[in-house]
Amino acid sequence: MTSLATEQTMSQTGRSVKLQRSIVIGFGLLAALLVLGTILVPGFISPRNARSILLLAAFLGLASLGQTLCAMVGALDLSIPYVIGGANILFPSLLVTGMPAWLAVIVVVLLGAAIGVANGFLSFRLQGQALIMSLGVGFAFVGAVQLYTSIGSDYGGTVFAPVPNWLRNFAAFNGKTFGLSLPPVVLVWLLITLATIWALYNTWFGRSIYAVGGSRTAAARLGISETKVWTSIHGISGAMSALTGVLLLGFSGGGFVGVGDPYLFTTVAAVVIGGTSLLGGAGGYGATVLGVLVLTVMTSLLVGLGLSFAAQQAIVGLLIVPMVAVYARTPHIRNQI
Amino acid sequence: MSQRFVPPLDRSLTVPLVLFGVLLVAAAVLSPRLFTATGVGGAIIVAAPLILTTLALTPIVMAGRGSVDLSVGPLMGFVNVTLIGWLSASGYTSPLAVICWVVAVGALYQLLQALIIIYVRVAPIIVTLSSFLVLSGLNLMVMSRPGGVAPDWMMTWGAGTTILSPVLIIVLAAFALWAVMRRTTFYSHLRMTGADERMAYTSGVKVDTVRICAHLLGGVFVGLAALSYTALISSGDPTQGSSYTLQAVTALVLGGANLAGGRGGALGSTLGALNMFLISYLLSAFSFGSVTGFVTQMAFGLILVASLLVNVFMTARRPAF
Repeated sequence: MTSLATEQTMSQTGRSVKLQRSIVIGFGLLAALLVLGTILVPGFISPRNARSILLLAAFLGLASLGQTLCAMVGALDLSIPYVIGGANILFPSLLVTGMPAWLAVIVVVLLGAAIGVANGFLSFRLQGQALIMSLGVGFAFVGAVQLYTSIGSDYGGTVFAPVPNWLRNFAAFNGKTFGLSLPPVVLVWLLITLATIWALYNTWFGRSIYAVGGSRTAAARLGISETKVWTSIHGISGAMSALTGVLLLGFSGGGFVGVGDPYLFTTVAAVVIGGTSLLGGAGGYGATVLGVLVLTVMTSLLVGLGLSFAAQQAIVGLLIVPMVAVYARTPHIRNQI
Repeated sequence: MSQRFVPPLDRSLTVPLVLFGVLLVAAAVLSPRLFTATGVGGAIIVAAPLILTTLALTPIVMAGRGSVDLSVGPLMGFVNVTLIGWLSASGYTSPLAVICWVVAVGALYQLLQALIIIYVRVAPIIVTLSSFLVLSGLNLMVMSRPGGVAPDWMMTWGAGTTILSPVLIIVLAAFALWAVMRRTTFYSHLRMTGADERMAYTSGVKVDTVRICAHLLGGVFVGLAALSYTALISSGDPTQGSSYTLQAVTALVLGGANLAGGRGGALGSTLGALNMFLISYLLSAFSFGSVTGFVTQMAFGLILVASLLVNVFMTARRPAF
């Protein structure tokens, strides 16, 4: 970090102070939620509840990775729910054709990456309207997958196929890692998290994302290809969404295209609560992981209090603005000139 | 409308106009039923909620700061369920009460959003995102499943058998409101604020007032959208509103508006919404059986991608004037 500090301009130092503050607040919120949960909900602090929180956080965390990278350069990927839903029904329908499961995983994830790359490539010139392009690409993809899976079947949208046992163990609530009663997907998420955070700070690619998000002109002077960064982070987002879609099949046991729908707004909420600015240049995946945990623990607390899904949604929505207001207020216009 | 005041057609209207023409010709060939009095009447009642939600987004997006209001759909749903579940259920069913209610709820909610955006200074997309969550949740709490009945005087509206229906009057009233608004200084201030907020501020435009007015206007349109939506389904539905957000944003872009602000208008937004309607109408004219919905979704996506790309190439070949 010290060698980086010298490279940072004044404004970037300001942003990183803001980020530090958001991380401190995030940890504070997490602690407060845990204390509240312990007092209000019997059995809140139990291995069983911790396991379910971590499992749900892992899915949201994997889906939010691409969203974080996109937000860091000022884009939003709205195709995420559609790629998740598409992968969730495409994977079992590939299994039905007799394709080996490992190959099907690779095919689906690569297809997700390809959709993401196409998305990034098409939206690069649009910038301000990039989020709508990702929406269009998502619509087209999920429509095509549903067409493909419903050819020769009477019902579309839902696919019935036996889910392989290893995948069920991998992502289901009672999954085991080397005999330990923790679903392997949590471990995978942890590894991906560590790798991503390391890569963001220590590789040319990671630094390029910050550079492009901070100042396009400066990044271009440094010889960073904005197109390449933009396209590859969208590709990563597509691949991670497809992976999440496959893993969710192991969790739910049946393919359903609507499984990705809640992820459109929760991935954005996780990024925002973590403190990554949607305008680009600041933040990181570590912050999003914190946002994911805050969001999941809060949902678990609200479920524990017996609130309906509708009420949970309303409360999470109500809390986003004050949380963001604490550390992500834009300056008054007279101070922007 | 006197000719002097009609500005030359915006270049951004070329794509939606051409698409509209192509779709009309296709409809005339494939399903001429649309061009009968019943066909047009039905089209008006089905397309009206989308036209009006897209109109609601227009001034808010034009005000800039990337403020696409993601909550318009759920807000329309909220007005719909409170109209049926609270107002109608408590016996207030006179047309005056209903119209005052829909316009007031829409405008007040948008005022609240504008005040949060301006004084709490949180990015608009975050405010409207949390609005989306709050309202989607609230709608289900007001009414847990579709139900209830619209006031008696509204029941015949949904049939859509004549061209001159009350729903058409609602849409025309919205256009008239827009036409009046275009003559005011507010409109030029809105365009300036959207194009470059700092420049507008330094030249003395009260950008905060402009933003508040844009949201109020959008809120009135959301109220009218909810009125036509209630007429369409003749009841309350807490779930369908959300999908209108994505459709309205798509229609807005199809109509040539720039999501970054400054560019857009009622004509483009209406064309965009009509194009969306015609696409799903044409697709339903083909018989795709159980997969019609998927084909429609894919077609929406592909057409959205294509029209965005065409817009890019048009602006690239002929740089800004």
